[in-house]
Amino acid sequence: MAARYSVLAARKTLTKYRRTNGHFFIQLNMSLNTHRPNHESIHQPRAAASVASHVASQSRRDFFGSTSQGLLGISLAQLLGNELKSSEVLADDPTEKTTYNLEPKATHHAPKARNVIQLFMNGGPSQMDLFDPKPVLNRMDGKPYPGNVEDIGNQSTSDIGVMMGGQYPMHQHGRSGQWFADVLPHTSTMSDDLCMIHSMWTDHPNHDNALYKIHSGRLFMGHPTLGSWVVYGLGSENQNLPAYVVLSDPLGLPKNGTRNWTAGFLPPVYQGTPFRPTGSPILNLSRQYPQPNSVTKQSQSLLAQLDEIHRTERPHRGELEARIQSYQLASRMQLAASEALDIDRETEEVHKTYGIGKSPTDSFGRRCLLARRLVERGVRYVQIFLEEQPWDSHVDLASNHRAVCERTDQPVAGLLKDLKRSGLLDSTLVIWGGEFGRTPTSQRSGKIYTGRDHNMQAFTSWMAGGGVKGGFSYGKTDDFGHQVVENPVSVHDYHATILHLLGLHHQDLHFLRSGLEERLTGVSPPRVVHELIA
Amino acid sequence: MKTQTSRIGLRKGSAIVIGLLLTLLSSPHCFGFQLDSTTNAVPVFIHEKCGRCHNASTQKGELDLSSLEGLRRGGESGEPLIAPTLEDSRLWQVVSHDEMPPEDEPELSEKEVNTLKEWIVANHSTMASSNGESPPESIHDVLPILLLRCASCHGAQRTDGDFDIRSHQSILEGGQSGPALIPTSPDQSLMIQRIENEQCPPTELLLKFFVKRPTETETDRLRDWITAGAPRGEIKEDVATRQPDSLVTDADREHWAFVAPKRPTSGDSVDALIHLSQKQAGVTFAPEADRDTLIRRVHFDLTGLPPTLDQSKRWRTEPSDKWYESMIDHVLASPHYGERWGRYWLDLAGYADSEGGISADPIRPVAWKYRDYVIRSFNQDKPYDVFLLEQIAGDELTDHANVDQLNEKQIDQLIATGFLRMGIDETGSRTMNFVPERLKVIDDAIKIVGSGLMGLTMECARCHSHKYDPIPQRDYYRLKAVFQGALDEHNWKSFKQRKLNYGTSEQRDSISLHNPTLEKELRGLQNEIKQQRDQLVTETLSVAFPNQTEHDRLATLAALRIADNQRTLPQRQLVEKLQQAEISETTRTASSAQQIAQRIEYLQDRIEDVQRSMAPPLTIRALWDQGEASPTYILRRGEHNLAGRLVGPGVPSALTDGKTPFVFDNPFPSGSPKTGRRLAFAQWLTSKQHPTTARVIVNRIWHHHFGRGLVNTLENFGRMGAKPIHPDLLDWLAVEFMDQGWSIKALHRNMMNSRTYKQSSVVSESAQRDDPDNRYYTRMPLRRLDAESLRDSLLLISGRLDLSRGGIPDPVRVSQEGEVSIKPNSNGQWRRSIYAQYRRTEIPSMLDTFDYPQMGPNCFERSVSVVSPQALLLLNNRQVHDLAEAFAREIENAAHQTDSLEKQNTKTTSDRDNQWSQLIDLAYQKSLCRWPTDQEKRLGIKTLEALTVEWNGDASKALKSYCHVLMNSASFLYID
Repeated sequence: MAARYSVLAARKTLTKYRRTNGHFFIQLNMSLNTHRPNHESIHQPRAAASVASHVASQSRRDFFGSTSQGLLGISLAQLLGNELKSSEVLADDPTEKTTYNLEPKATHHAPKARNVIQLFMNGGPSQMDLFDPKPVLNRMDGKPYPGNVEDIGNQSTSDIGVMMGGQYPMHQHGRSGQWFADVLPHTSTMSDDLCMIHSMWTDHPNHDNALYKIHSGRLFMGHPTLGSWVVYGLGSENQNLPAYVVLSDPLGLPKNGTRNWTAGFLPPVYQGTPFRPTGSPILNLSRQYPQPNSVTKQSQSLLAQLDEIHRTERPHRGELEARIQSYQLASRMQLAASEALDIDRETEEVHKTYGIGKSPTDSFGRRCLLARRLVERGVRYVQIFLEEQPWDSHVDLASNHRAVCERTDQPVAGLLKDLKRSGLLDSTLVIWGGEFGRTPTSQRSGKIYTGRDHNMQAFTSWMAGGGVKGGFSYGKTDDFGHQVVENPVSVHDYHATILHLLGLHHQDLHFLRSGLEERLTGVSPPRVVHELIA
Repeated sequence: MKTQTSRIGLRKGSAIVIGLLLTLLSSPHCFGFQLDSTTNAVPVFIHEKCGRCHNASTQKGELDLSSLEGLRRGGESGEPLIAPTLEDSRLWQVVSHDEMPPEDEPELSEKEVNTLKEWIVANHSTMASSNGESPPESIHDVLPILLLRCASCHGAQRTDGDFDIRSHQSILEGGQSGPALIPTSPDQSLMIQRIENEQCPPTELLLKFFVKRPTETETDRLRDWITAGAPRGEIKEDVATRQPDSLVTDADREHWAFVAPKRPTSGDSVDALIHLSQKQAGVTFAPEADRDTLIRRVHFDLTGLPPTLDQSKRWRTEPSDKWYESMIDHVLASPHYGERWGRYWLDLAGYADSEGGISADPIRPVAWKYRDYVIRSFNQDKPYDVFLLEQIAGDELTDHANVDQLNEKQIDQLIATGFLRMGIDETGSRTMNFVPERLKVIDDAIKIVGSGLMGLTMECARCHSHKYDPIPQRDYYRLKAVFQGALDEHNWKSFKQRKLNYGTSEQRDSISLHNPTLEKELRGLQNEIKQQRDQLVTETLSVAFPNQTEHDRLATLAALRIADNQRTLPQRQLVEKLQQAEISETTRTASSAQQIAQRIEYLQDRIEDVQRSMAPPLTIRALWDQGEASPTYILRRGEHNLAGRLVGPGVPSALTDGKTPFVFDNPFPSGSPKTGRRLAFAQWLTSKQHPTTARVIVNRIWHHHFGRGLVNTLENFGRMGAKPIHPDLLDWLAVEFMDQGWSIKALHRNMMNSRTYKQSSVVSESAQRDDPDNRYYTRMPLRRLDAESLRDSLLLISGRLDLSRGGIPDPVRVSQEGEVSIKPNSNGQWRRSIYAQYRRTEIPSMLDTFDYPQMGPNCFERSVSVVSPQALLLLNNRQVHDLAEAFAREIENAAHQTDSLEKQNTKTTSDRDNQWSQLIDLAYQKSLCRWPTDQEKRLGIKTLEALTVEWNGDASKALKSYCHVLMNSASFLYID
């Protein structure tokens, strides 16, 4: 189960250097006789963008090292030669096992974004209450659902109530005039930077499955998440920090726990690393036992010498060199992570922007600021979660949603403003959304009807920065906000679009497993939603 | 709903057009037919470019593109190639999505693609029938719908209203309300009336029985069938016959893996065959590794543990010439052998102690019995054919329902069937037990059997014929039919229904003697722990918020009992307050709260101890044949609601001669009804003529000894898999293995007693130059310890490994920080990692860091990563540090024992050096199974001196730090 180069792939990796957005990339634009750019089947053994690199292939690594520093001294022939060399072995039978790492990898095309911050709104925020006003629904408030209740799309129909109008006043904001509920006073000020997708839909009305779907493209556990695919595809620009960082809520893990950042069948090196909010940010990052520093120094010196003896006695074993490096990286990581997490280095002004230091925004604000500090340092993918699933409002939606907005609205807007101010928003894609939306009807809980059930047929997500259109609305739902009626965006489309913005092609990003090429976006070809891209 | 007449009209129309086209097509060169005067479309290229695989004689995917009729009919899925719109036309989809022609075939030019598009646009209206369906001719046109929508109440498990929809006869007979239908009169038919007025399926039962209403198309189909007189039809199951298989050719069967292995004439041992290819390449073996290296290599390889001091001493000093062979025999006889090699099998089977799939990740309480069965089987050297037979069809070996007292072996055979129930299974959920989810569970089982046992990626043929291998879609469904007697999506066993209760009389006696008192104690403990947990909540709150009212505290407890998404805002706020209190330093350090927390921990330990001391229940998590099986249909594109042709049980045609029927029968003609399908399959699979079974397992075992398989893709021997690098060797091993009675231990001997295995791992310059990829086995690979070996070794050398075996898994704990650790026993020891609970959502952090696999549904091959979290763990983790300390104590004690005669408290430098020297020797012996080199010893002494200074003269601490370094060293982590 190793992704690998084929001769074909290596030929196709022919390349041209260009400079775009200040980043170097390798463009895959050479068509040979068998190359078809719109190839869409999962089963083709084509490894145009197989991204694993062989540890053994030292010069290849040097090459990437060079590009990330902006040096262009390497000859194309040499690169191609190396690629071919590794592929020759593999063409008929791969005899060397691949070792996986996080070195920066070539993109498939010019990227618009370099990093992603995913603000995950677990539980399913309500589209008709927050972003997608529905006057017809409002007028029908209290009336029975006019169609067949089984069409609402949930498995149980026994607790369906009546039509429930939007819970908050809504107004248009910015030059773009996009709608926001008044419970989002800060996010709404960023209206002209947001790219709203009102036509998201998913395949399952259960949290578990819908969460697997939105994160991994599959309804079931065991598949790699978007973040894992991204770091598998792109590696990281900062080897001193994890490539994929998760900032979960100190109050507790989100629903589905660590499976929201699993590498699934990809090698574990691509799974998300949770940064703990207090104490040592990464498990085992600092010593869990007392020991004088001088002892540590002595020990490290001995270890280095013993390993050097071991390595010298065993020439031509690339993995030993890699291991020695992993120990060096471990000690660098300790410094780098502590530095990155030290938000006290930021000014009071910045803290204020994020709502840090006051209730109830402090906690989420800290995570948003950390996310900014991490992407600034080259972390590829940052995921922020809330505990359990606060958006899931089967009861008391009006006050429950208001409370979550109060926790998150200012930090989210603060993050966008801060990123924009520093210019990072140009290369950082911020994505906001949950696993599904909510029904236009109320739901019974005991004797009260104050919440909404899950709605897999429509929900709103938004993107900002990273090459998407600001002040742009995409897709439409029906008069109730219940179903998509225009420009549907499936989860696969959504993922393909995000990959595209990062310079990856959903078709070319794959991993060979049991003779099958596995992809984030599955078998049926998704659609990159080019309309969203600036 | 469209009216009947208009649809029939359309169909007639299209039939006429097609007839006309067929006439036009009658001469072979006449592809330039004209469809009408405006379109001059000439899809000659279809014949040229597609016809090689899709013609009248070679119908790959059961598709014939040489005739318009073939085009209209479509392929195996039964889906027409030309639909009413361009976008829906399969032909256009595969071409525009670049699915076809496949990779290695000439592709269509842009012009041809455009021509095709125009041609489809111009002609789809006449080519396509309105809904792509032919009129219903038999019960099998509607039975899939009835099974899917009605069988939950009127099928194998229930016959509400005395109505059973599963046969033509029972449908006509109807139930309490009378006949279900009146032939030719759909409007008068009760079935249609009830469906259309939504009486059936009843709304309140939809979720209870996991059914969905028939779609309009499906109801129309039922109507059409009734209109046609509800014909029974004479449809025979599509099964292998004595006629040659039209979909898999003899040429397909020439692929190396589909030809049964033959004993090669070129050589008769691992070394002879390897040496032969080495000679051709002008390379040769490395020198034999030294004795210490071999001792360590063999012990790790066979047991996953380093040799103890005594063991290495014994083999180092064994005078016999045959010391090595005796060592192999000796280690193979160790009970720890099964723990190592059983683990490899558990990876393949996807063993887990939880169901997975849903957040709750429910525990599988007795899955461990299967784990122990596997370990036992390896230790007993159970012949591999028997091992497979038991796991695939153990329930069909004994008529267990009709035997008064099963013996241990028979019970084992039932436990073995747990193999087919190891995958992820979400069907225990309240909302996820619909047919698609069940099909996924079945698919996982087929995948494990196909890829894991046969090296055939069968699962690729679930949606369409395999693209690269000669596996028609129908072969997937024939294999599915093999399992249908036990894994039947229309007769699905709930988690509770998957249990059998069988035990020997000793087991039963033991239960009735020991368990009643323990159960009583357990209940008491569980009650108390509940109370204590509540008390901890109120205590935590009163420490953190002294002003909170009693009312609010009680309300918090009440809120905790409500599902989080059902809480009102005030309830959520109370819970959130509690969460804040729980993570605050004040409450965590408050003595009152700590006391309760300790009591809870104590109770938890106690509960686990009591559970452990109980006699294990008789429950077996098994799979068994029901004696009947729903019909199996090909599912178009793998969609659960798009049933196609009826198929019967069968095996992949490519692995047979293509003209041998699959024969099966009830093994107990006068006993319980059984389909006998799996038994027949298992017998076929384990026959000596089977082309892949032996090859796949010898290749896996080779992989574990030599770091990679002779076929590098362990689970794929098909065209897209790797080719064997030494085909003769693979075949020799496979044939020899079968001839030696499928003995895995004999296979180990064949491999490990070879020069190939015994050579050094050092890469010489010439080997690097002439054999850079070690294709010719010019040295042994260097291998990193896998997760379990690493953890078990750390425990063993520190004297903290409890070598007791089997039984309920050791519990894991999840810390607030998310670290998952395995709980030690009351002596502060841990058992081997294989006995740690494998809960899919709680994988022990240490094992996880070192590439312990996620079972999704299983793991065919582990990946190896080299990443800094591994370094961080070994350097900074408290538990590893504590083990280093224990390791140091072990060494000191050993030194003390061996040296009690020598004088103590020496003061001179050289004496102290001698002491250090002795300790270093022991440390190397114990952790690395060798003596340190002079250089290593000098370094060690120097560092120990320096460390002693840094630890203010505490030599014990210095030794601990030194041992910690050894545990981190590459020498420790890698096996030569």
